[in-house]
Amino acid sequence: MGFISKILKNPIQSLFYLLAIARGSVYIIRYRILNNKVRIKFPFAAFAPVRITGPGSVSIGKGNHVQKSIFRGLTIVTLSPNALVTIGEKCLLGGVTIRCRQRVEVGDGVMMANPLIQDSFFANPEYAISRIEKNLINETRPITIGTNAWLGAESIILGGTKIGNDTVLSAGAWCLGTYTGDYMLVSGNPAKKPLPIDKLLRLKGIA
Amino acid sequence: MRDQIARLRGAIYSLWYGYFRKNVSIGTGLRIYKKLRISGSGRVDIGRNFVVDGICGDRSQYVTLDVLHPDSVIRIGNNARFHAARISAKFKISIGDDVLIEESGVIDTDFHSIEKKRENSSDENAEKCSVSIGDRVSIGSRSFVTKGLTIGDDVIVAPGSVVATSVKACMRVCGNPARPL
Repeated sequence: MGFISKILKNPIQSLFYLLAIARGSVYIIRYRILNNKVRIKFPFAAFAPVRITGPGSVSIGKGNHVQKSIFRGLTIVTLSPNALVTIGEKCLLGGVTIRCRQRVEVGDGVMMANPLIQDSFFANPEYAISRIEKNLINETRPITIGTNAWLGAESIILGGTKIGNDTVLSAGAWCLGTYTGDYMLVSGNPAKKPLPIDKLLRLKGIA
Repeated sequence: MRDQIARLRGAIYSLWYGYFRKNVSIGTGLRIYKKLRISGSGRVDIGRNFVVDGICGDRSQYVTLDVLHPDSVIRIGNNARFHAARISAKFKISIGDDVLIEESGVIDTDFHSIEKKRENSSDENAEKCSVSIGDRVSIGSRSFVTKGLTIGDDVIVAPGSVVATSVKACMRVCGNPARPL
């Protein structure tokens, strides 16, 4: 009953939503036929284009949304055959770019606004010819993002980052090997020390 | 197959530019996987085995080389590899050999002054604003190199950094403004 009343309240929005669901279903069928390493679960609302390329495996849970943004939808690139990208349920994936060489894990209910998630320093490290720090170029470390996290606009997440549950990344944050616990605020380029949000709210007198 | 098409595109591009755009000189072995756009009337010198490519996963981005002024110069060394790089010069940008640039911008001018009229700024000159990037430098995606600085050899610029001061050789920098890692 609640479902029908929701549709009656704003019919145009629900029409767009249904169109997005239809578009998402086309993507699901397309990737099931063309690439058996990509698994997307129904319902998948694609308001913007989705591109998944590369030899690795990708699994996307049910109830995800892909909003419109300047980076034109969701982009997932797997750069090696044993790369593994897992995205949980009910995430907002507007303008997300994921370049994965080893492993990227995203929890349930994560909100993202066009971040770059890349678990190696360069997308083409075989052409980065530098005499120093050969291991830094070739180094790939897995990325984990906890449930209900919020990644702000244009944030950049590089290898070895572990973001806890309910954590907020501010806009333009830059993480390399950052480890945060649960319910923290991370900001800055490069990222400063994570602050617990409980303490911040207490300082502001909100809670 | 993809390499052959890229080589063919490169050959056609070199031929076209050899006849119709005398301000551009391109060395042998040019490979174009994605679009290359050279605009403006300045001088562009490109070395041997230059590779033009897009960034993986984004079809819309391509390499642009802008030489905005008749006196402006872009010089690129041998075996350079540009993935969706955006380079615009008003004075001089020189890039060394074996350089990798991914999805980032290099610029040597502000285009306008900070006065209210927003005209060409008077205090910019070639000595102050030229950018030079050394050999074997790798620049990560979504980073930016601003005017009037020198990046030494073997430098690694992390993704998402803004290089605002000169960087010595054999360093790795990150952040905004870029600092040693």
